[in-house]
Amino acid sequence: MRPTKVDEQKLYQATPGWLTSAVDILLGAGVEIIAPVETEPGAVELAAVKSSEGLTLDYANVRLPLKRLFFPMTEVVLEFDHQPEGDVEVKSEPLVSDTELVVMGARPCGVAALESLDQVFHWDYDDLRYSARRDRTTLVSFACAKPDPSCFCTSVGGSPHNTAQSDVLVYRAEDGQALMQVSSDKGTRFIDQLGDLVTAAPADTQLPTPPELKAKFDPEQVKTWLDENFESDFWTDVSLKCLGCGACSYLCPTCHCFDIVDEASWRAGQRRRNWDCCSHPMFTQHASGHNPRPDQASRCRQRVMHKFKYFPERFEKIACVGCGRCVRACCVGQNLVSILTDIESKAKEGSNADVA
Amino acid sequence: MTVNATATEQLQRAAADLLSEGKVDLVIGYGRDQASQFSSPVFVRKPEDAEALVFDDRCFGNLAVYLSKDTVRRMGKIGMVVKGCDLRAVNVLLREHVMKREDIVLIGVPCSGQGEPLLHKCSVCEQRNPEGCDIVAGDPVEQPEIKAEQRYADAATIDAKSIEERWAFWHGQLSKCIRCYACRNVCPLCYCKRCITEKTVPQWIETSAHLRGNVAWNVARAFHLTGRCVNCGECERACPMDIPLGAINQKMAQLMHESYDFQSGLSSEEKAPFTTFNVDDPETGIL
Repeated sequence: MRPTKVDEQKLYQATPGWLTSAVDILLGAGVEIIAPVETEPGAVELAAVKSSEGLTLDYANVRLPLKRLFFPMTEVVLEFDHQPEGDVEVKSEPLVSDTELVVMGARPCGVAALESLDQVFHWDYDDLRYSARRDRTTLVSFACAKPDPSCFCTSVGGSPHNTAQSDVLVYRAEDGQALMQVSSDKGTRFIDQLGDLVTAAPADTQLPTPPELKAKFDPEQVKTWLDENFESDFWTDVSLKCLGCGACSYLCPTCHCFDIVDEASWRAGQRRRNWDCCSHPMFTQHASGHNPRPDQASRCRQRVMHKFKYFPERFEKIACVGCGRCVRACCVGQNLVSILTDIESKAKEGSNADVA
Repeated sequence: MTVNATATEQLQRAAADLLSEGKVDLVIGYGRDQASQFSSPVFVRKPEDAEALVFDDRCFGNLAVYLSKDTVRRMGKIGMVVKGCDLRAVNVLLREHVMKREDIVLIGVPCSGQGEPLLHKCSVCEQRNPEGCDIVAGDPVEQPEIKAEQRYADAATIDAKSIEERWAFWHGQLSKCIRCYACRNVCPLCYCKRCITEKTVPQWIETSAHLRGNVAWNVARAFHLTGRCVNCGECERACPMDIPLGAINQKMAQLMHESYDFQSGLSSEEKAPFTTFNVDDPETGIL
């Protein structure tokens, strides 16, 4: 891949140690900051920071997906209180804070996943909480220098240097020098806030070449097989070892299904929105007792179909960014990439058979 | 990765023979998996596919989890590769009448431990040579003597904290829970058709991933497994948030050991303290 030359106005550079200085400057300006922190040995998360201490740059990806900052694992939608005279007082939770928030350190895949979430949460109804969180947030992503072996962003249209949805994409050289590619007004504002810390990059600056990450399958091929194979023994075979937990979905940056629950004591309580997952039998359990997805085969099929067929048909976008979290998290080694490469082989066999 | 060539060859042969002689319809074992950090479960249905089986030091999973799955049971009679630790879970399933002994052919594999470095559960394993299996694949291994204090070392570390420190510790750990239920689904002994956390009328356990809900869930899980859990460590391995669930399991096992001189899963004939009545029961659990 050839290095791309971009408009000099959009490229900035900073010297090693810029991150701590940037955090100090922004905190001083009253901006909230979420940045990569080693929360326990071996685990890096994007967490709210109150100082520039304890930040880390040493991670392939953060453990939990970026989506949780916009679509939290659990959130209060409203509160209710049954008054003694019989009325029920309902209080909508105040919308999220409008304080400026800068999120630093997400990887390009997690940020690109917001394209899918934006479409879902604005599709037939504008999800006010989601939108408010998106509006107040500036996304300063860190380009991937060393993808994990389970990463596959290039198979689903992404890249370790994908700029999609990032306001600023930061490339970090081995020596700690940073190159910052600005893609939006929010990104420009971020650069302005940093003042002398960053300078315009020289006119002949070229973007670094992304690390090599060979595509493992072709999603177009996968879809041609999915289009014809809702009913197939493949789903039974491939789901045999799946134990039906939600680790893959909950760690997925694009999975967005949720459940609404009421949690109440005798008189008062909260209505909450919680992450839910199509791998769980209860997800489609009807009150009648009927379950349209009665077995793990139909639930595994749903997960693949949703990401690689239904979502592209509705939104012209694959609901997978190839972050590899599902592959890394699965306790029985259920591997989405091998499922998709198997499907691709079947698609090729099918088209060869047609020719013959 | 170190492949146990003898065990691999013998279990491939055993599986092929069982399948070709029609003694089983399916062998569940571990397969080579380049894409994974461990040798993941494989389901072998034809004798010629038995060569997919392997036994190495990355056979982490406890395959007994599949014994209670209807979809797997419907495939016919099962042959299953078991390590000593897995066998303890099979024993509990037999004790609890989830299946009958004649429904399953057990292919035991002596195991000197999994993981590099060795998993904690393996360093205190007392069942390196599984007993009572139908077939044994591989050579017997040396069994070191294990002391009770080694067995419950993680629990002891947490017990040594003050109540306030302990609460702070579990507060931090359980706050991480995302309620994916990997701990439940990977557990060979969590086979309820409908888990208490899925019951909504009334709702016993709040499903929200807040501390209150997470504590309720994890306490319920521990209570339901006390006297049953065999410390196979699968819940802790499966947890994507690295919550040290093994320490909770150790504590349960320690209490059962000290109160009832009972270790779960050592035999399928044993009488479990919580499912038997004994007039001499000291009833220390009743306040």
